[in-house]
Amino acid sequence: MIVAGRSGGEGVRIVLEAEEAMLLSELADQVDSVLLLGEADDPALGRLLPNAYTDDASSSREFARYTRDSLVDGKRQAAQRVRDATAVEDGDDTVVQIELDQSEAWGWLTFLTDLRLILAERVGIIEEGDDAADETRDDYLRAAYEWAGFVQGSMLEVLDPTDS
Amino acid sequence: MTATLEQHDTATTTNVVAEEPWRTIVWDDPVNLMTYVSYVFRSYFGYPREEAERLMLRVHTEGRAVVATGNREAMERHVQAMHGYGLQATVSRAET
Repeated sequence: MIVAGRSGGEGVRIVLEAEEAMLLSELADQVDSVLLLGEADDPALGRLLPNAYTDDASSSREFARYTRDSLVDGKRQAAQRVRDATAVEDGDDTVVQIELDQSEAWGWLTFLTDLRLILAERVGIIEEGDDAADETRDDYLRAAYEWAGFVQGSMLEVLDPTDS
Repeated sequence: MTATLEQHDTATTTNVVAEEPWRTIVWDDPVNLMTYVSYVFRSYFGYPREEAERLMLRVHTEGRAVVATGNREAMERHVQAMHGYGLQATVSRAET
């Protein structure tokens, strides 16, 4: 994976190996599914759509009633755009080049956040740096979690360079 | 004189509370990158870099930070936006 600036413009250019693109496309499709089909008590959905009030259940419900559809739509749209941008034909082995302007890049950043929130819930990342309770089953998800964080961090270095 | 002063103090306090009775709070979570949180604060709220990083660090070290104050409707809009960005945010009434 390469993340770089765009020549003569704001935004970011991402180059993915076919294998990476396929992985990301698959993950984006799964995020979309969680948002579409997720059960109300799915804790991963709770991470994506948290309560707006800590101590007022009825205000929380009211808030959810007014905001949930539009939040879900926004998140699904972001996931679908990533899925489509990274779709690779079967047997196609070439790299995938993606150019994102500032606003498209935000879609990727928020998608990567949602993806990591879901993966974190699935592998039980509760405490920072907590590496206990690693099961073999979780290795793939954990690797995907780390990789998505790496992609997001690389994008931020380009979009929001610091002096240091 | 004393009574007048006391009245003045009470009125001032009431005004402050009445103007900005609600808060948007962002909570720490172990998932979001610090650079991302700070970038969201800058881009969405328009905070200068230093302020955005100060708030981000407060979230990180203290577990939460008040990132905006104002009327309830505005705070709910902010919280909705924060949820859109994937941050854990809540609305609460300012403590008096």
